[in-house]
Amino acid sequence: MSLLRPRVAFLAAFAAALGLVAAKAALATFVSANCNYNAPTWSPNMYRDGSVTVALVARYEGYHWGGGCWNDNDVDEGPNEPLQTYSTGGEGGDCSGLTFKVWRESLNTGDGGHYQWGRLRNVHGPYAAADFKAGVGVPNATYPKADAIVMDAFASSTHIGMVYQRGTSGADQIVEAKCEACGTNIFTRTYRSDSSYGGVRRMGWTG
Amino acid sequence: VRAIRVDPGRLRLVGWGFGGLAAGAVAGICAVAVASAMAAGRSAATDKDVGRLIDVGHLPPLLRLPAERVTLRFNVFCPAPGDDPFGGAPCDAGGDVFVRTGRSGPFRQLPLRRTDDVAEGRYAVSVPAEVAASPDGFSYYAVLRNEATGTSITVPSGGAAAPQLSLPLEDAVVVDLGSHVFGSTRRADARLVSAIWGTAPGEVGLVRGPSFGPIGPSAFDVASNGDVSVLDQANGRIDRWRGGRVAAVVPVDVTGGIADMAVEADGSIDVLEPTPELRSFDASGQLLSTAPIEDRTWSQLREGAEGPEVQQEPSEQWMPVRRGLVPLAQAAQARGGHPGRTLAGGRELVVFRTGVSEARVAEVAGAHVTRAWRITSATPLGEVQLAEPLGNRVVVVVRPYTETQDEFLVLVLGDRGVERSFSVDSADWAETAPLARFRLVGSSLYQLGSTPSGMHVDRFDLEVNR
Repeated sequence: MSLLRPRVAFLAAFAAALGLVAAKAALATFVSANCNYNAPTWSPNMYRDGSVTVALVARYEGYHWGGGCWNDNDVDEGPNEPLQTYSTGGEGGDCSGLTFKVWRESLNTGDGGHYQWGRLRNVHGPYAAADFKAGVGVPNATYPKADAIVMDAFASSTHIGMVYQRGTSGADQIVEAKCEACGTNIFTRTYRSDSSYGGVRRMGWTG
Repeated sequence: VRAIRVDPGRLRLVGWGFGGLAAGAVAGICAVAVASAMAAGRSAATDKDVGRLIDVGHLPPLLRLPAERVTLRFNVFCPAPGDDPFGGAPCDAGGDVFVRTGRSGPFRQLPLRRTDDVAEGRYAVSVPAEVAASPDGFSYYAVLRNEATGTSITVPSGGAAAPQLSLPLEDAVVVDLGSHVFGSTRRADARLVSAIWGTAPGEVGLVRGPSFGPIGPSAFDVASNGDVSVLDQANGRIDRWRGGRVAAVVPVDVTGGIADMAVEADGSIDVLEPTPELRSFDASGQLLSTAPIEDRTWSQLREGAEGPEVQQEPSEQWMPVRRGLVPLAQAAQARGGHPGRTLAGGRELVVFRTGVSEARVAEVAGAHVTRAWRITSATPLGEVQLAEPLGNRVVVVVRPYTETQDEFLVLVLGDRGVERSFSVDSADWAETAPLARFRLVGSSLYQLGSTPSGMHVDRFDLEVNR
């Protein structure tokens, strides 16, 4: 009996510790398991069509409010998240986080530089949609909607989407992180003619 | 001072316990690390090959004025060559356009040249003057390549089997709208549906979040008997309204995303999902079929003479998605692509909004324009929300806008120009599918509108003889 008791204590403690670690791991989110906080790299050139590819990688990777981290396997690995919940750590950006990354902006609102953030870099950036709409930040400016071209954007007080291509109907194909049920993709939208939206241009394109 | 006496047996027990905790923690951490590494390996393995990433933006010149020079322009989106495919440089792309006069005969191969004009499309080719001048127009398709990887994309996706068509407007009726006067909108003749936001029967769902605006019922349709069907995707149902009341609630298996909808004559229902796919239901909501669409993006759904047709991008063509009860494979959709909505008798209605403030509309039979209108405006024009034949007329709904205002403008077009026009409040507080705010049934125009308190469907009688 005296030999058995220490072994029971050992096994009980072993199981408890293992269980705690496993439980913590089970609670890991997409962000905690996959994303990083690496420094961005600065790029001398930044072309509109070159930046579109950053958005194309984010297609099908989901939507996460306040988020900015995704991989490239066309699967939303954080689906069905509750509205306005950041702590779930799901995959994908929200509208302004996607725009920040695609537009290669800086965490410093006074810096207009071209910063490439890796897709697994978890960053949202300092701007909400309303900030973009108001032209907040050195690289951002309000712009006439009628003149908006590829990689300009339309922003309302709650949402922003980037112009991909205008269609024959006059509606625009917009690349955007829209909502949990919508995900991140290219959708046809009529933001251009909607007076709740304003035009926004990221300044400093190389071409 | 009392001496503290420690039972050696109890001390040994505590030691074993701490040892167990430490060993369990180490074992757990190792197990999680191994599992994470395996998961990361799986994730990396399932990432797409970036070299295969390619997409295109292209605005086809569907309807041209005789004097217009024709340059076909394309943006090709693919990773840049070298070690940093997402570093901000454009990709090393190229391609060819295959063009011919009219709708038949051999294609001529024209290589695309690279330009600095990314606004209209970095890759361009001028259509030879003799081809552009053909009274039969010209048809074309393009094969665009990432020269570094060889990955290619064809637009329109049907290629030689369903090339894009560009037609000359020789005798278009010019409709000059001048400057739009905002604020003089017409009241509806009747309000057929009125519902507050909610989930109960008689209410309609609203979705809104901190980073997207309010999204209400995203589409509706009207039967010939006046019954109104509202796609309440947030509540997973279609509400049928009759006489100002909900006559039936039909549960449907939809994603809840912004979708377009059309109701067929027999009551069956087509829902065009953002996934993107067409889901077809019988009148009771039983799912009959699901058909992925050919292209990456859709802009609208309408019922054609032989089944539902979807305007798809980047092809910018209307494609059949189902024939009878049979969903069409994506390749079959691509082969059926054409520039306009199918009308009775094999005709098409082609819409081309161009520049800042112009829209062109043409009735087409074969490869010939039979009637056309060129709508110009001093106020910017957004999308063409609706273009539908009404007897020997065509009803067009355009959207004049400024930075701070927008309204819909309804035009009834006849052989001599505008026969009737009026403005309609945009009533667009909640978002819908992009081109799903209006439907024309009989000689009445129906509008899906919304306010912060709820949604409504209004009827505007056009007061013209069919």
